[in-house]
Amino acid sequence: MTQEHPDEGAGELPAAREVKTRYEERLLSLPGVVSVGIGRSPDGRPVIIVGLDRNRPATIREIPEEIEGYPVRVEMIGPVRAL
Amino acid sequence: MNGNLDLLRSVLGEMRLDLLERENVVATGIGYKVKGGERTGTLSIVCSVVEKVPAAQLTRRAIIPQEVGGVPTDVVETGIFRALQARTDRWRPAPGGVSIGHKDITAGTLGCLVKDDQGTYILSNNHVLANSNAGVPGDAILQPGPIDGGRNPADKIAELARFVTISLPEPAPPSDCPIGRGIASLANLFARAVGSQTRLQAVRPQAGENLVDAALARPLNMGDLRGDILDIGTISGVKHGELGMAIRKSGRTSGTTSGEIQQVDVTVDVDYGSGRIGRFTDQLLAGTMSQGGDSGSAVLDSSNNLVGLLFAGSDTSTIINRIENVFSALQVHL
Repeated sequence: MTQEHPDEGAGELPAAREVKTRYEERLLSLPGVVSVGIGRSPDGRPVIIVGLDRNRPATIREIPEEIEGYPVRVEMIGPVRAL
Repeated sequence: MNGNLDLLRSVLGEMRLDLLERENVVATGIGYKVKGGERTGTLSIVCSVVEKVPAAQLTRRAIIPQEVGGVPTDVVETGIFRALQARTDRWRPAPGGVSIGHKDITAGTLGCLVKDDQGTYILSNNHVLANSNAGVPGDAILQPGPIDGGRNPADKIAELARFVTISLPEPAPPSDCPIGRGIASLANLFARAVGSQTRLQAVRPQAGENLVDAALARPLNMGDLRGDILDIGTISGVKHGELGMAIRKSGRTSGTTSGEIQQVDVTVDVDYGSGRIGRFTDQLLAGTMSQGGDSGSAVLDSSNNLVGLLFAGSDTSTIINRIENVFSALQVHL
């Protein structure tokens, strides 16, 4: 499992993808949220990354800084379209 | 030195036509003479030839003299010169990375060739080869795509074979209470975080989630396709995309670009125009490495392993289907 999914949480934390999957629907229902994924922090730990279509202070205020032990990072990625 | 160059120019001016008339000569110019693979300091009149041939096999007329007008000559093999071909041009045979499209769209990118037990197909996106679910098997696929001048039937290279339908719910009426929606979501997040049993009912997506934007076209003639990818080469295998992996793509609009997988397990809402939004799960996200028209590009790692199929992006991101999901949905392999 760890071979295939290097984004596993360490120790007692549930896997980052499991946590992300449980919360993504609600995150994506917030105005302007276009994506939710798993990335890495500069020190290599898994983070949940929420992508916004533009700067949306009201939405950003509603996104917790951490979910079940995983830091949440907000990025302005812009609207995503089929290319 | 300048005097010498002026002399060469004047000799070249006089001799150019005479040299170019000789069999095999495709260009003349001035350059340093090369001896035994090393550049010398001697300026010479350089004749480019399609192919170097031993003097014994040449007619007397075809032999380039060692010297013309008192200046040395040099002969280099360059092959035939061709005008550089753009990715939006007609290519026969066509490699991956060039313009292609269903007859009713603008253009996307020819990804690569894939197979099943029925034969070989062109792989690209549904929105490139199947006009975002509107196509019918047998529809003409043009190379280049219509916006690049592809005409039906003159530029028809293939026919739509099959595609994975994209779930694209019709646009929802605007919410009359966006603030209420936000508060409900907030309540949900925190209720869930503390394990409350009283959280509000989760919002369900209107329609199914997608894994891929993928389609296959059956070539009319296998001789019209090259099988490699422009600027990248031959695909060596298939690999599972992972965080931090260095990747490359070869696409119609932005050419060959590279990036890194910055996010995995991405769920993303993608705009297909006319207010239609498709939700995709299990996607890979990379940085800026694509533009409109690059859709359908094969995405490879640094050892030419196929990792994904590019289909969407924003100003700062590129969204890629995992190739395993594409192959399994279409029941194909390399």
